[in-house]
Amino acid sequence: MRSPIRIVFEQRSETPKRLSILVPLLSVVAALVVGALFLLATGYSPIETYSNMLSDGFTSSRGITDTLGLSTVLICTGISAAFAFQMNLYNIGGEGQLYLGMIGGAWAGLALGDRLPTFVMIPVVLLVGSLAGALWVLLPAFVRSRLGTSEIVTTLLLTYIAASLVKHFVYSPGSFFVTKNSAFPQGRLVPDSAALKGIGDTSLYPTFFLVILIAVVLFWVVKKTEYGYRIQVIADSPRAAHYAGINANRTTLSVMLISGALSGLGGAVLIVGPFGRLDPGIILLGYGYAGIVIAALARNNFSAIIISGILFAGLRSGGDKLQISTSTPIHIGVMLQGAILLFALGGEAFRRYHIHAVRTERATQ
Amino acid sequence: MTNASHEVAKGPHHASGAAPSALSAHSIVKRFPGVLANDSVDFDVLPGEVHTLLGENGAGKSTLAAMLCGLYQPDSGYITRNGERIALSSPRAGLHHGIAMVHQHFRLVERFTVAENVILGSRDLSYKLNRSELEDKVAAVADSYGLPIEPGATVGELSVGQRQRVEIVKALYQGAEILLLDEPTAVLVPAEVEKLFENVHAMTRAGKSIVFISHKLGEVVEISDRVTVLRNGRVTGHVSGRGAADTKELARLMVGRDIELTTQRASHATGHEVLQIRDLSLTVNGVSVLSDISFNVHAGEMVGIAGVAGNGQRELADTIAGLISPTSGSVAISGSLTTDRGPIHARELGLAYVPEDRLGMGLVPSMSILDNLLLTRDRHIVVDRTTVRPEAARLIEQFEIKANGPDHVARKLSGGNAQKVLLARELSGGRTATKLLVVCSPTRGLDVGAIETVRALLDDARSAGQAILLISEDLDEVMSLSDRIFVLYRGSVVYETPGESAQLSTVGAAMAGLQPEGKS
Repeated sequence: MRSPIRIVFEQRSETPKRLSILVPLLSVVAALVVGALFLLATGYSPIETYSNMLSDGFTSSRGITDTLGLSTVLICTGISAAFAFQMNLYNIGGEGQLYLGMIGGAWAGLALGDRLPTFVMIPVVLLVGSLAGALWVLLPAFVRSRLGTSEIVTTLLLTYIAASLVKHFVYSPGSFFVTKNSAFPQGRLVPDSAALKGIGDTSLYPTFFLVILIAVVLFWVVKKTEYGYRIQVIADSPRAAHYAGINANRTTLSVMLISGALSGLGGAVLIVGPFGRLDPGIILLGYGYAGIVIAALARNNFSAIIISGILFAGLRSGGDKLQISTSTPIHIGVMLQGAILLFALGGEAFRRYHIHAVRTERATQ
Repeated sequence: MTNASHEVAKGPHHASGAAPSALSAHSIVKRFPGVLANDSVDFDVLPGEVHTLLGENGAGKSTLAAMLCGLYQPDSGYITRNGERIALSSPRAGLHHGIAMVHQHFRLVERFTVAENVILGSRDLSYKLNRSELEDKVAAVADSYGLPIEPGATVGELSVGQRQRVEIVKALYQGAEILLLDEPTAVLVPAEVEKLFENVHAMTRAGKSIVFISHKLGEVVEISDRVTVLRNGRVTGHVSGRGAADTKELARLMVGRDIELTTQRASHATGHEVLQIRDLSLTVNGVSVLSDISFNVHAGEMVGIAGVAGNGQRELADTIAGLISPTSGSVAISGSLTTDRGPIHARELGLAYVPEDRLGMGLVPSMSILDNLLLTRDRHIVVDRTTVRPEAARLIEQFEIKANGPDHVARKLSGGNAQKVLLARELSGGRTATKLLVVCSPTRGLDVGAIETVRALLDDARSAGQAILLISEDLDEVMSLSDRIFVLYRGSVVYETPGESAQLSTVGAAMAGLQPEGKS
């Protein structure tokens, strides 16, 4: 005899508000539980590890500034991803656009830095970095809007080329970006005029507030302007856009370019901030890919991205410091990031469906 | 309850004697979030009879049918087959008990042949298919019920009526004794309906039971041995005996009040030419979709375009609205050419367009009523919602839209209310006052009460001097509203007649592609 209990997925006509907060929150908790199991299995104490992460990432004053400093770039790549995702454009090449932002920003800093004052240089570096990021998405954006070529594939593949480009500029002899006559190939530091100081000598830079401002402005643009209205129409029903005479091709192109520029800005933020130079180490950090997870956890809501960006920054910076303070592997932070994405995506099912068990009445023969 | 449940003929069950019904539903209850779709519904069908489920959209007839064929399971109540209780956990279990449903939207693989479609899903096929043997078997099943089909033909090349026959043959081939036909005539021209009815009679003569689901009163009276009327998930009446049902009475049981869908024509002389179409042709991917269409629509006049779906109606409307550029010929609104100039230009000339596809084309499903009103209007760089809000509230009141206010999301509106939002936006004028209104299937899928409202709105627009082009597959609607009627067949106007003197049979023949003499 079969079990008379069935799990029923019933489509919700309306998602309760509390679930929009509860699901991401529980995704994080579930990821922490999985992380704890992993830590136990490999012989570490989850409580000790997590309390270290918490103090290194969030509660100590050094932890807070480090986290907010790191969140600057993560919020950039987060809003970059979300801006494209909200129109069902899957720009997953934010990573490559971030590299280009670093290359562009470093170039601007090195080429112009000696001649211009700081208050001009900083905007110039950020702008050139953003433009470089936008440039890197131009081709995928163009073929997507004209031919419908999947931007997922093109943006992803261009990321590998961007990584090679970074290595080329750092490792090729006599490169503009590196220190001359150095035994060890290393990016040249941008001049002081193109470098910001951390607030109160911490790793939190003023660019953090700029990025927050951009996130708030984008939120407003999407909710209140004609441009945002168009984005919403195209995202929901391209045929309604056609019916209303909205040019979807042009909007697709511009949304992709803005998305690329935001990732590029993330790269430029690293140049005026903590890095100060083109550093191939960026390739291992995956800040661009983290943006995808941050956007997904925030469900493409720009104000929520500020929170999820800071959360991720805390996990990352707390995780990184574990390696130093304890012998816990550094990858716990990255692993938690992946687990959170999985749970956040899986949690969508709870938002869309009312899932419950029912006892089915069996007909008697 | 005494008022709602109306028993026209007493004791309809087992009217023909003691034979147990082939299939019965007993006190079926089915709940969906927020809706009681079936509220202790009893229903049964005898061998060899046609029992109709009549009701408006949302009355619960499709839900009941879905439970009878195993697609849904009832929350409470049970189903018996030949008097024995059965559990229908899936459509396959339904087939096992000889119950099959022919869906309104066919579930056929277009690239497959008829025979391949018929055998699809059979589990007793050998590893290697013997096509000619299978085709003979399929043809034999079809022939025994007088269903002419070509087993070797590719389904993608068949007409809608032929595809429906394939679905029926498939059900019979799978051994169905009870066929549930969900709105089978919705997609057919009058001649095809007649053919379908012949097939239904052939099947009942062979002892099959037919559950016929419909909301069209005329055909229900014609085909049914018994009728069960549903309203809001409850049975409101039974009528038994062929021809015993009376359309007026059925309409009252279905809607809950008396309904008058009268003929309406222009009450006064029509004015100047608003829409001028000259030699319009459209070729898409080498296929001619519209050829050499020329006609005018005058101010205060309603011109109806009749035709079976897919004969170029959608493309004609889209071309007039500036969404498609014609291959040759021209469209002008109030004397200004719109050809190649896009939808916004056409709207600036006074066009309003209600497309056939409401949610997804005419309305953005995830947006509020307020935002949907802005879709075809001039929006400023910063969208000004505060000044539109009072107007949205006013339109909701004026058009009697059932919504929680301007912020109600379009997706959550019922079909009739979504259509009212669309009409409210298009009739209230956007960029300029509306001069030309193009409406496609304005009442499709609406319940009778809403149909009355929508028709009245169109008539008002006509009286207000707007030129109206009504494109509809509902022939009754075109015939009872239009001042002039054109029949579109394979992209050409094959027949033209004044609305007043239009004959159902001639117009129906023209829709089926039979050349009538009177082409003017």
